[in-house]
Amino acid sequence: MTTTARVELSAPPVAPRARRRRGLLGLLAAPTGFLALFFLVPVLMVAAYSVGLLTLLPHDLYLSLQPWRDFFASETHVGLFWKSVRLSVVVSAVSVLLAYPIAYALALVAGRRKYTLLLVILAPFLTSYLLRVLAWRVILGDEGLIITLLRDVGVLGPEGQISWLFYSPFAVYVVLAYVWVPFVALPIFVTLDGMDRDLLEASHDLGATRWTTFLRVTLPLSVPGVVAAFVFVFIPTIGEYVTPLLVGGPNGFFFGNAIQGAILQGFDWQFGAAMAMFLVGTVTVLLVLFGRYLNVRAVAE
Amino acid sequence: MSPAISPGGRRALWVGFWVFVVFLYAPIVVLIVFSFNDRSTVSFPWEGFTLRWYRAFVENPTLLGALRTSAYVALLTGLATTLLAIPAAILLVRRRFAGKGLVTGLLLAPLVIPLIVFGVALLILFKNLEASTGGLVTVSRYTVVVGHTVVALPFAILTIVPRLERIPPSYEEAARDLGADAFTSFRTVTFPLIAPAVVAAFLISVVISFDEIVIASFVAGEDTTFPLYLFSQLRLPQSLPQVIAVAVVVMGVSGAIVVASEVGIRIADRRLEAELGVAAGEVATLTGGTKGAA
Repeated sequence: MTTTARVELSAPPVAPRARRRRGLLGLLAAPTGFLALFFLVPVLMVAAYSVGLLTLLPHDLYLSLQPWRDFFASETHVGLFWKSVRLSVVVSAVSVLLAYPIAYALALVAGRRKYTLLLVILAPFLTSYLLRVLAWRVILGDEGLIITLLRDVGVLGPEGQISWLFYSPFAVYVVLAYVWVPFVALPIFVTLDGMDRDLLEASHDLGATRWTTFLRVTLPLSVPGVVAAFVFVFIPTIGEYVTPLLVGGPNGFFFGNAIQGAILQGFDWQFGAAMAMFLVGTVTVLLVLFGRYLNVRAVAE
Repeated sequence: MSPAISPGGRRALWVGFWVFVVFLYAPIVVLIVFSFNDRSTVSFPWEGFTLRWYRAFVENPTLLGALRTSAYVALLTGLATTLLAIPAAILLVRRRFAGKGLVTGLLLAPLVIPLIVFGVALLILFKNLEASTGGLVTVSRYTVVVGHTVVALPFAILTIVPRLERIPPSYEEAARDLGADAFTSFRTVTFPLIAPAVVAAFLISVVISFDEIVIASFVAGEDTTFPLYLFSQLRLPQSLPQVIAVAVVVMGVSGAIVVASEVGIRIADRRLEAELGVAAGEVATLTGGTKGAA
């Protein structure tokens, strides 16, 4: 009796299934529509534009692979690409090496303070990027902390300089590693923190030393975090052009600078579009290879 | 006796940890210290304490204009991102449908595109729209808002999702059974429970937008955001000190916002856990009671 009354009361005007479907569309429409229009379509337009399916500037080529041919034929540009790959690999690797012991300490040694300490590590990452880059100018620059110090102790003469220290590729490497290292600690921390502690106990009980336990249990289990960290640094770094402009000097010119130059200064947009698409291709390959390690959700939590 | 670390290793690890913290914070501290140096270039030697750089920026109209533009862009971005992130998070947590994997991929894809590529893509899109609408759409602060919203959206979604996951769907179902329509049950039950995460998502989007320079440098048109202004000044050593003074203020404010929202969401989470515990207990007593009566 009561059951019937309840059904009558809450009987929906529309069949529940149709209602659910409408609700689904309502939720789906805005976010996916927005991203389709302002993310997917523009990226596809770059692809179309790079082969002249689409033209914008008066001198743009119509239906032509010329921009791509130019790119692959240009030793300078392909060279810059590899220079950026090297930068990204080194910066990612150095950040991971620096961040790993930190993440280990937080996840497995710190105990209850770990989240507070994690926030201490992450906070600099959340402050202004330009500012952190700028800070290194004060440290590495011509009249900066290091040079002044070396002059004071007499290692350098009063007007002495170290040419590789600033406005150099070295400065780009240091600054980018500095910028990314707190972020890298995060995914590594998450995998180590989610690890089953009993495994460590078990390994110990079976007579393994701490080093053996680390090498044969902890390290293999943390691989997903390490790979995720690596990829998440690699992707932004390979297109990096702001940091090179600020601290790189004449030799600190990378692939991102070539793209930015072609678009914003050279008005060689199709060539720039081809290079940009080449980056998309590189990133796609990377994601196909390592995608299964990227547990974005785990990192967010 | 920990199998993770020996006592000596523990000591070494903590020394390493604090050295690392110093490495992270030293450059920022150096910058803050130098913003008080009474010298017209940001460099050694130390020539005394001054507040003149902080005073100078208050009187610099271009700088204030750039700050205002960025504040405007960041607030609009925060609003748009939050409005899009709420339905997206509900979709990911509460619904099952064909093609969910693809939709999830699309929603998170902006995380894995190099910003320079996305900047170029937006420029090409908006230049096309400009050509086809006869100049009705043109690159400006509003196109920056669009770009920043795309960039911030995955972060906002990933902020709301974990919170939503902890709220039992039975709460909404109860509201529906009591006759509330979908929107009412969202407004009166779900939203108040996810509100802390929504606020955090908004703040994170604001902070991301306020600091973003790559997208802005491609699609800001004639408008100048604060990072663009900062960037243009970084090449002129003489205007550096006052720029650094503002930047220190901005950095402090945005850092405080982020830390506050992180701490806030953690407190809210703990409170939710406690409430859920109580609620579960009540349900148990109720069902137990009914069974007893029957």
